Amino acid sequence: MDTEFVLPSLGADMEGATLTQWLKQPGDRVRRGEPLATVETTKGLIDIESYDDGQMLEHLVPPGTHVPVGRPLARLDVDPGAHAAPAPPGAPGIAPGALPPAPAASAPVAPAPGEGRSSRTRMSPAARRRAHELGVPLESLEHAAAGGIVHIAEVEKLAARAPAGDARTAMRATIGATMARSKREIPHYYLGHRVDFTPAREWVSRYNAERTVKDQLLEGVLIVKAVALAAARLEGFNGTFQDGQFHPSAAVHLGTAIAIRGGGLVAPALLDAHQKDLPTLMREFSALVARVRAGHLRSGEFSAATLTLTSLGTEGVDILYPIINPPQVAIVGAGEVRDHPWVENGQLTVRAVLTLTLAADHRVTDGRSGARFLRAVADLLAHPQSL
Amino acid sequence: MDRNEIHTRLLALLTGVAPDIDPASVDPARNLRDQFDFDSMDALHFAVAVSEAFGIEITETDAAALANLASAEQFVQRRLTGAQRA
Repeated sequence: MDTEFVLPSLGADMEGATLTQWLKQPGDRVRRGEPLATVETTKGLIDIESYDDGQMLEHLVPPGTHVPVGRPLARLDVDPGAHAAPAPPGAPGIAPGALPPAPAASAPVAPAPGEGRSSRTRMSPAARRRAHELGVPLESLEHAAAGGIVHIAEVEKLAARAPAGDARTAMRATIGATMARSKREIPHYYLGHRVDFTPAREWVSRYNAERTVKDQLLEGVLIVKAVALAAARLEGFNGTFQDGQFHPSAAVHLGTAIAIRGGGLVAPALLDAHQKDLPTLMREFSALVARVRAGHLRSGEFSAATLTLTSLGTEGVDILYPIINPPQVAIVGAGEVRDHPWVENGQLTVRAVLTLTLAADHRVTDGRSGARFLRAVADLLAHPQSL
Repeated sequence: MDRNEIHTRLLALLTGVAPDIDPASVDPARNLRDQFDFDSMDALHFAVAVSEAFGIEITETDAAALANLASAEQFVQRRLTGAQRA
C-alpha cells in the first residue's frame, strides 16, 4: 500500500528539523524500527525510524531541506497487513488526517545535483560539534569540504562569515519554551523522600569487585530499575496527558535526562525499562549516553518516554526539584548519594543517603499516591538483589 | 610501545568516548571530570576503551589512575611492561 512517511514529532517542543541524509534509497526494503533518514534538530542528529515493513518508493525531500513536523518526507510501499501498526506507545502520534495541508512549496523537489552519492558531509566529530554550537548549517560545509573532510578550522571560518544562528541558543530556547509551557499548564506538586541507599551501594560494590570494567554496573542503573518497577506497579505516573485526559502506558519507557557538554540536555528513553535486568539496562544506558555524546539519537527514543528520571549523581547536590517534561505526568529526581547521619531503631548511624524527589501532575494524582510511589522506590532499593 | 605512542592512542580513545572534545585542547595534567564534565558513565567508557585497546584488565580499583591523561599514560605503561616481565 502506497503511504506517506512524515516527519514525526520528537517532543512537544519540536516544530521542524533539517533532513541531513537518506539512509534508505528508492527500491530498498525497510523494516519496522529501521532508520530511514537522519534529521538535525535542536537536540542534535536523530535517526528517524520506520513504523512499518515495506519498500522505499520515492524521496520527496532532498537532504538539506528544513521540514516542519507532519510534512511527508517520502513515499513507502507498506506491506499488506503491516500498516496501521500502532505508533510506539506514548508517541505524540500525528494522525494523518490532522496534518496541516502541505503548501505548494513542499511538492516533490527535483533531485539535487550529485544526489545518489552519499550526501552526508564528511566531518571530524569535533568539527560537527563545533558546527552545531555555532549554528553553521551542514549543507554549507559541503562546499567548504570540496570532497575532503571538514575540520574545525573550516567550520570556524564559515561561522565568521555566516549570520549568527547559535544552535546552543536554539536548544536553550527550546528547553525554555517547553519548561515554561509545563509550568503554565501542569499543576505540579512536589514530594521528597530520603532513602537509605547503603544496601544498594554495597550490593553494587560487591557486584563490581568480581568484574572488569566492561561488565560493571553504575549505581544509577539501580535507581532506573527501581523507578521503572514502581511506575509499572502504581497507577498514575506512567503515561501522557493529552486531549484533556490521562493516557496510561502499560510499558515503562523511562526517559533519562543526560547533560550535553557545553550546555543543554536531552532525555531519550530506555524502552521497556521495567522488564529488563540490570546488565541489559546498563548496556542500553551506556549505549544511549554514547549516542548522546556523538550527537546521534534515534527517533523512537525521543517520542517514546512515558516518565523521566533526572539525576545529579556527581554534581554534589542533595536535592533537585524537577519540572515535568510534557506530555508526561511525572518526573523523578535523584540527588547525589552521600553519607549522612541516620537514625535506625533508636540508634544514630551513618548511612549512604539518596534524596529522591517526585514532581507529578495534580490532574492525574495527588500527594498520597505520590508518597506511595516514592516509598515503593525506596523499598525496591532496599532489596537490590531483587531488582 | 613508547610513551609517545601510548599518548597518541589514549588521545584517540578519549575523543572516541567524547567525540565533542577537541583533542588539541586536552591538558594531560587536569582531571577529565573537571576539564570536560566527565561523568561516571564517561569515565567507565574510557576505562573500557583503554582496557580493550591495550588488552589489559582494569578493575574498579584502577579507576583513579585513569582520572587524567598523564596518570593514564603511566598506568598503561606500567601494565604493559609488567605484562612483558611476567
